[in-house]
Amino acid sequence: MSTQSKIIKGIIYVFLTLLALVYLLPLLWVVITSLKDDAVLMISPWALPERPMFENYSFAWTMGNLGRSTWNSFVVCTITLVLSMVFGSMAAYAIAILRWKLANATMTYFLIGMMIPVHCVLIPLFIQFSKIGLSNTLTGIIIPYITISLPITIYILVGFFQGIPRELFEAACIDGCSVYGMFTHVALPLAKTGFMVTGLMSFVANWNELLLAMVFISKEAKKTLPVSLTKFVGPYNTNYCQMFAAIVLAIIPTVVVYCCFANNIVDGLTQGAVKG
Amino acid sequence: MKKKLLSVILTAAMTASLLMGCGGSADTSAPSSDTSASTEEKADTADTADTAASGEVQEITWMFWDDLNATEDLISKGYAEVIERFNKDYEGQYHVTPITTNLEEYYTKLNALVAAGETPDVFICSPGANMNDYALTGVAAKLDDYLADGWKDTFTSDAVFSGSTYPDGIYAVPLNIAAACVFYNTEMFEAAGAEVPKTFTELLDTCQKLQDAGYTPITISAGTAWCLSMVAGYLCDRNGLVLDDVKEHKTDWMDEKVINAGLQIQELSKYFQKTAAGDDNDIATAAFYNGEAAILIQGSWAIGQINGSCAEGFAEKVGVFAFPAVEGGNPDANRVIAKSDSLCMSATTKCPEAAVALMKYFTDDTAQKYTAEVGGKIPVTSVEYDTSVAPPELAYVMDVFRNASSTFGFYNESLADTEAGSTFDNCFVEIFKGTDPATALQPIQDYYEMNVW
Amino acid sequence: MDKLLRNKKAILLFIAPAFILFTAVLFYPICRAVYFSFCDYKVNYPIKFVGFKNYVLLFTKDKTMRIALRNSLFFLIFSCVSQLIFGLLLAALLTNIKFGRNLFKNIYYLPCVLSSAALGLLWMFVFTPKLGINQMMASFGWISDCTEGPQWLFNTDGYIILPIIVISVVALWQYVGQSMMLYMAQISGISNDIYEAAYIDGATKTQAFVKITLPLIRPMVATAMSLNAIGSLKFFDLVYNMIPEGFLGNRAHVLATHLYDQAFKYNKLGYGSAIGVVLLVMCLAVTLFINKVVKCENYEM
Repeated sequence: MSTQSKIIKGIIYVFLTLLALVYLLPLLWVVITSLKDDAVLMISPWALPERPMFENYSFAWTMGNLGRSTWNSFVVCTITLVLSMVFGSMAAYAIAILRWKLANATMTYFLIGMMIPVHCVLIPLFIQFSKIGLSNTLTGIIIPYITISLPITIYILVGFFQGIPRELFEAACIDGCSVYGMFTHVALPLAKTGFMVTGLMSFVANWNELLLAMVFISKEAKKTLPVSLTKFVGPYNTNYCQMFAAIVLAIIPTVVVYCCFANNIVDGLTQGAVKG
Repeated sequence: MKKKLLSVILTAAMTASLLMGCGGSADTSAPSSDTSASTEEKADTADTADTAASGEVQEITWMFWDDLNATEDLISKGYAEVIERFNKDYEGQYHVTPITTNLEEYYTKLNALVAAGETPDVFICSPGANMNDYALTGVAAKLDDYLADGWKDTFTSDAVFSGSTYPDGIYAVPLNIAAACVFYNTEMFEAAGAEVPKTFTELLDTCQKLQDAGYTPITISAGTAWCLSMVAGYLCDRNGLVLDDVKEHKTDWMDEKVINAGLQIQELSKYFQKTAAGDDNDIATAAFYNGEAAILIQGSWAIGQINGSCAEGFAEKVGVFAFPAVEGGNPDANRVIAKSDSLCMSATTKCPEAAVALMKYFTDDTAQKYTAEVGGKIPVTSVEYDTSVAPPELAYVMDVFRNASSTFGFYNESLADTEAGSTFDNCFVEIFKGTDPATALQPIQDYYEMNVW
Repeated sequence: MDKLLRNKKAILLFIAPAFILFTAVLFYPICRAVYFSFCDYKVNYPIKFVGFKNYVLLFTKDKTMRIALRNSLFFLIFSCVSQLIFGLLLAALLTNIKFGRNLFKNIYYLPCVLSSAALGLLWMFVFTPKLGINQMMASFGWISDCTEGPQWLFNTDGYIILPIIVISVVALWQYVGQSMMLYMAQISGISNDIYEAAYIDGATKTQAFVKITLPLIRPMVATAMSLNAIGSLKFFDLVYNMIPEGFLGNRAHVLATHLYDQAFKYNKLGYGSAIGVVLLVMCLAVTLFINKVVKCENYEM
């Protein structure tokens, strides 16, 4: 039994490691390419650079104005994250826990927002926003981002809230908790994982969003990171290597944030969210 | 009772927000209608009056499809210099702010800005189907009055305006011209004993010689649609197809001339690099710059790249010739595909003076000299430039261009609309992949039957 | 308890911010888009109401639409099935190992945090005949020349063409981390007591997974699957970035790329909106279907 399970463990680890390579090698290639120049890339795309071109990074950083746009992206995504979490969890609580007839209908209503491609609403949305003077401001993209994040946040959180055993709410009720108290003291703490997951998803989606930001923002000082990354695509040719350098620079903050968060999720989880 | 109340409130909230929306929609639905235009005009005049009184700096915007800092394109760099020069010379009077996107999202963004009533004062636009959307709809302003003060006389000829001339006037100013030519590696030609071909048969012959000598004769990208379409356009024209006849339905896409062009593409494709189907433009052109292939059919913007990023000494090896004639086809084999970057001015600009001043900066001697000497494109004005500084290929391209009897646009930009252009491109990709031309051309024929004729 | 949860004021308070924001910012443009779908609407030109013309054209004349529908349905089925299987598999494996769990999980999730545009470019390089996999295969001697191997992104034979299959595999690579994450989150929410009880009764790990884990994460399966379904119907970035335009025009369109081309490239916003509405209806239908079949209980507890 124990040798058998050891063998199974071994197989599992081999499988997981091979899969990890499938994930890491292409990304490693991005890093390597970012240290080459375009001419070499076209001749030998997979070779290591003879001399690493770190100047690609300085070029990308200064010419792409990446410092400014990273900050913009950070501001936009953080505000969006917090507000969409607050509004989303409130709505999810109302739909999943509170009892009213239209709960299902409201959920479906929100779901519509997830289903329409952003391309369809882009122009009407832009006209609407520029009428009230919100084009070219960060607020002007934060509001649509929050709204676009809401349906998916609500949808996932509803699932998590529903997973909380009813007895916990009943116990809280007996202890004299109000409906608001149940939200802050029972629902929120127990759906911690849900928040991590949805938070990560919405943060990442907004961090990478291009089309809306591209159309809404014209001012150099307000551009977000994905918009700045397109600067390396010219009308007749593309500076691949410098673009990859910029992409690596753009990835670093996400990866750092992600690694900090992701480990917390599992740690919090394995202790057993439901101790009751 | 309470339940009812709630649902009433919810429905009320819903309808209220909808009504709010609809109320807002009343004035958004017609962004280019007369009322909104006139109110804007009123506001504009008030604005200009204010500015004149207070001596404030007049802000204008200029929209372009490449980033001015991160670009390596020499023409884009030239534009950046023009902007800088303009802002310096007009300091305290006018100031221009560039709005840049990449080419892919350019028209999406421009259309959104137009729809929201924030049209940039000056914007770049490709003549043809794209420009129609701005010139025929009153988004762009007619420029004849501004050109009449002697500005127009600085241009080489009226022909440079042909792409931007509409029945009621001129709607855009060209900045430079790129001509589609055949670039070739003289070293390889010599080694293979190949001659510069004058006719299509000779071209096939030359390719055969190059192939026998062990070279890849032609590098081309079928993955980037306009590259193949450029060759297709040349072949159609050399076979004697007249696009206006197609438009007026005097002939159609099943015309023998088009079918012939298709068959010729298939003959020629034997000499393309083997990966032509999968290579995009960057990869295909790199094969020529790296000395892997002998012939590159490309716009003259390639000159900038050859001199900017290729290995030392490569530029001297490059020759240029005009696309060969087709025997028994169009007797006039000197027509050249040309494309110009052109500037439009917004019809609702607050300050036409500033916009025109900016456009004049793009066509002044300094800018045009740069176009020729550094950018490697053909200048639109009769500026004197230093031929010894200019890249050697420019002289060849200029020869081809001077010998041209007339010019015509890229086919995918000259058809009835952009969708027709894409359909045309796709048809020729199909032909290239080996489909019988008559079958492959059916989609464009259908498209014209449904939407044009 | 029940009375507490039926507090109308609380319900209104909790739902209002999201509801108002959503209605004003997103639902209104969606209504506009639906209205546009009944119009001839080109930006810069006046809007003309034409009734069902766009829809009639879409379903009777538009050959690209048929191709796009077929490809999108393939994406839908492929991604729902493959993400379910691989997502669950990874989640099950990872919850059962201790050493390196976080590391592996982070690695598998990594592509989800990267932009699809950048990854699309990367994979385009990989599958370009001259540069990528084919060259690698040639250097191993599997094929004689890099031009001989499969034309990954350019082969247009067959009912579902090779590029579409390649892209769906890349999409699986990119997004399976998301499903895995959702499943893991739910699995680790299951109380350990249940498993312990099962093991005492002599259940194996596999049995515990089938009998305990699967039924308990069923709601999350429905959630993750709906997300996959909607994501794959709206699928845009990878297709747009990996397939060169010339080939996209023929056989490799999906609904979202067709919509993009029509609305923005050809400036036919009305027609594009009609495609968007079709997409919306399909998404709604699929989501309702998944929730009916996979998830038994209602939203109400």
